Amino acid sequence: MNDITLTEDQRDCLQELINVAMGQASDKLARYLQTFVHLQVPYIELIDSTVLPERFAETYAEEGVSLVSQGFYGEKGILGESLLIYKSHDAHGIAEILGYEPDDVSEVEQLTDISSILTTTFLNGLAEQIDNQLAYSAPRVVSSMETPLEQHLQQLSFNWDLALKVDISYQVVDFSFNCDMVLLIPGEAIKNIQKVLDQILDEF
Amino acid sequence: MSIPVLICDDSALARKQVKKSLPSEWDVEVQFATNGREALEVLREKQIGVLFLDLTMPEIDGVGVLEANHAEKLVDFIIVVSADIQPEMQSRVSELGALAFIQKPVNTTKLTEILQQYGLL
Repeated sequence: MNDITLTEDQRDCLQELINVAMGQASDKLARYLQTFVHLQVPYIELIDSTVLPERFAETYAEEGVSLVSQGFYGEKGILGESLLIYKSHDAHGIAEILGYEPDDVSEVEQLTDISSILTTTFLNGLAEQIDNQLAYSAPRVVSSMETPLEQHLQQLSFNWDLALKVDISYQVVDFSFNCDMVLLIPGEAIKNIQKVLDQILDEF
Repeated sequence: MSIPVLICDDSALARKQVKKSLPSEWDVEVQFATNGREALEVLREKQIGVLFLDLTMPEIDGVGVLEANHAEKLVDFIIVVSADIQPEMQSRVSELGALAFIQKPVNTTKLTEILQQYGLL
């Protein structure tokens, strides 16, 4: 399984598809919040399953995180898990951003609300470009205070040794709010995505 | 005489998509730039009729190119081709003198409409 590598063309193609999907998701969020979302170029890497918990621990070591995890399943063997990761102070600030009264709606619901805007817009945008239809599992909210991220990663509904990790950062400047989106796509599905990328590359 | 056209995008796929979407009857001579810095180098060196410009790019981004062009008047017709389609971004590039804004992924129909609208075709 560890023999998978992306060619430069495949990486460029995937990056462009992700840029477009990310643009749609941030536009949706920007219109919803009536603010501006600052976009960065997404970072794509192939990552070994054993390295990921460690990598997460490094990135989010300083404080607790809340994570909204949602599986997606499409045609042509395309599937994966989308993780939206919020540092604790960002998670606590969502009520204000969404204009909810304090104690009106639980933090879990707030996280689910904002995540569904980002995740479904992003993934539908990606699916549309590769001529696919996606179905989603129900989102799960995981707090690192209660469940270590490592444990959650091990419990994901698919087994994977190697995953395509795509890091996308959404920064809402007006509210000093950030969240990271990580897409995990397991080994077999990476090969299926490579086929789709090659088809797109053949068209141009 | 062919119109010199510059396509600026950091993605090879996106550059090809724009080139392929140009209407076949439009007589152009196409060249490419892979970021804003390269685009400005070309624009300062030679006359370009139409610039197709991405926004999110390394080195100098699309907004940087628009700002430089605003000050230096290098090219008259700039069409932004962007994945970042937020209302605030659209009004910002329009204030900086971009003629039109096309949402990615680009296609011939959209592009032809814009070119006709501004009498470029």
